[in-house]
Amino acid sequence: MTDGPKKIIDDISNGFAEHGYICSEQIATAVYLASQLEKPILIEGPPGVGKTELANTAALYFQKEMIRLQCYEGLDESKALYEWRYGKQLLYTQILKEQMQEVLEGAKGLKESLDRLMKFEDIFFSEDFLETRPLLEALTSKTGAVLLIDEVDKSDEEFEALLLEILSEFQISIPELGVRKAEVKPLVMLTSNNSREIGDALKRRCLHLYIPFPEAKLERQIIQARVPEISEALQIQLVNFVQGIRQLDLKKLPAISETIDWAKTVILLNSEELDAKLAEDTLNVLLKHQQDIEIVKKEIPSLVSLATETSDGKSIN
Amino acid sequence: MEKVLTDFVKALRNSNVRVSPAETIDAVTVVNNVGYEDKELLKRTLSIVLPKTPDEKKKFEACFDDFFADEIKQQIPLDTNQLNDIGDIDSDLAKKLLEGSQGDLMLSIADAAEAAEIREIKYFTQRSVFTRRILEKMGVGKLEDELMQLGASREDELPSELEQELRNQLANLRERVSDYVQQQFLLHGDVSGEQLREQVFKSMNMAQIDRSYLHEVHSLVRKMAKKLANLHSRRKKNYKKGRLDIRKTIRDNWVNQGILFNLSWSYKKVDRPKIYVICDVSGSVGAYARFMLMFLFSLTEVVSKLRAFVFSSNLGEVTNDFKDSQLDEAIEKALQKHGGGSTDYGQALTDFVSLCLDDIDKKTTVVILGDARNNFGPEKANLMKTINERAKQVFWLNPEGKYRWDTGDSVMKTYSAYCTKVFPCGNIDQLERVISTLLKTAI
Repeated sequence: MTDGPKKIIDDISNGFAEHGYICSEQIATAVYLASQLEKPILIEGPPGVGKTELANTAALYFQKEMIRLQCYEGLDESKALYEWRYGKQLLYTQILKEQMQEVLEGAKGLKESLDRLMKFEDIFFSEDFLETRPLLEALTSKTGAVLLIDEVDKSDEEFEALLLEILSEFQISIPELGVRKAEVKPLVMLTSNNSREIGDALKRRCLHLYIPFPEAKLERQIIQARVPEISEALQIQLVNFVQGIRQLDLKKLPAISETIDWAKTVILLNSEELDAKLAEDTLNVLLKHQQDIEIVKKEIPSLVSLATETSDGKSIN
Repeated sequence: MEKVLTDFVKALRNSNVRVSPAETIDAVTVVNNVGYEDKELLKRTLSIVLPKTPDEKKKFEACFDDFFADEIKQQIPLDTNQLNDIGDIDSDLAKKLLEGSQGDLMLSIADAAEAAEIREIKYFTQRSVFTRRILEKMGVGKLEDELMQLGASREDELPSELEQELRNQLANLRERVSDYVQQQFLLHGDVSGEQLREQVFKSMNMAQIDRSYLHEVHSLVRKMAKKLANLHSRRKKNYKKGRLDIRKTIRDNWVNQGILFNLSWSYKKVDRPKIYVICDVSGSVGAYARFMLMFLFSLTEVVSKLRAFVFSSNLGEVTNDFKDSQLDEAIEKALQKHGGGSTDYGQALTDFVSLCLDDIDKKTTVVILGDARNNFGPEKANLMKTINERAKQVFWLNPEGKYRWDTGDSVMKTYSAYCTKVFPCGNIDQLERVISTLLKTAI
């Protein structure tokens, strides 16, 4: 290695920033380790903090193909790994039947026919009839890929067991064909919203990255990158306001994606400054539950004054 | 350097972060990669490899800060030839402090610590004792005496530079030793005391656990309920054969040129079992009631088809209350609505039967938590009989020890005739065992 790890981590951080993803040092370190150790990363955190986006950006940064597998209840191997092309296989047997005449022509006795049949190349179970699904596709990719297994917690426990072989050995066993090993190990990212506890066996094989809600400074950078047309004063006000909301006891706290949406909304409304009315009118962009909106409505005046007071570059944290 | 890392992993395990050997190997690999020089980077790196939940990450951070706290302070070695000039100081420690390198000093701290049997450290209250002991072994006492004499013999003069330096070094040494002890404590002690406490709680009679520990007991009970639910909720392939699955059959039999050779069946899943829990919260079991409810609450969190009822005389369902609110709130609500009164099992059974006898079927398990102390009221054992006949099984869990059954107003004998099984369950250990049997047979 010519460069020190620190330099590479900085490079990753800057590279991601170029693609519009502002990441904390923690995230950059995780990506570095994953590429160094060739281990999958399990990414956890509240919804909307950019877990999926991280994988997208990683694919852009490493210039690899992005393959995504969305998990849901009932997802099984025929949808995640591979399936046989039954229709083609059926046609193949039809053709085979006609060909069989030629192969067996002139054969005497059952034994000889059988010998000829054995010599005949059988491609019934072969790559030709294999329909690859995301996981197998990621393994067979010649140039390497970024494999995103999204929301693992939504899948069944059995599916987790299926992932174990792929994640630790980067291989898949297909009973009819044998073991398929990855030529270029893909960069694997798994995300989870923690709707259920992920098994220890799976966790043990992964690096673990927890992305929390960002601090004010980081969030401002993110807004700046994603909504560049926003004025600095307004941007600081918005971020401080959202940071204030996160201190409240709500059902669903607004995440970065909501802050970005909100910033876009405010820009669309041509507002130059945050005030109570604007905040109240656009609250439904930030909050997704009626109860939460009721709670925050009461707090708007204090939140707005706090946000505008501290807008001289300081964060409220 | 790997020793440092394995020691750190040990300290982590001690503060309740689960680290497997494979993860330790990962940690070694990454540390070889990033090195020890940059502490921040090291911390970030290890926090990705070792802890695997947000909770563990917090513990990891605290543990890391403690463990790698002692930054070696670089000091400029003094010219110590004039040590004899400042008076009667001839203790070895003084020489070591002034002349020896940092490494030597560290080594002698370690030696002294070994002599002071630092490995025996168990509780954090022992830290100061051990610090003192190590310092004594190193001969601090003698040096202190000499310094004191020196101070006394010197009249109004200012202390010499060397004397000042010696005092500074001594203060420094104390700090060092105390850091060292802290580190050793992380390694050898029961850091949070959690394991010990858990053991005690588990075997303690539930009525005797002080209310102030409620929170800790809850996390324990919850852990247990979760473990049990995990163990038993795995859907077994307990299917019944149903209709012919035509699509799957055709697909499976492409291979046989479409001749339907192997038949595939669509499976009918067997319904999950139902569990009904009736919990006595009357005055006589007041001390237990909180824990019973706590357990009931944790169980509703993890077992989906569970209905919970509480009573002292009249019975009421609390399933929805439990599902909607937090633990404390739910327990308070249940106790307020139904708790504290005098027990009437007869009435409670009547209510239960009228409320949901129709829902009880051959897949239902009924669990009754109570002491069967009926205030000499009507027992209505015939209702128990009806329930028993309709349900798959009926369990009675009695928080009192077996020797107290059927004494005074307890009518355990009458009811137990209509129970599939009765268990005493006064402490959490017993409760765990009972519930495990229950879930095993209920599913």
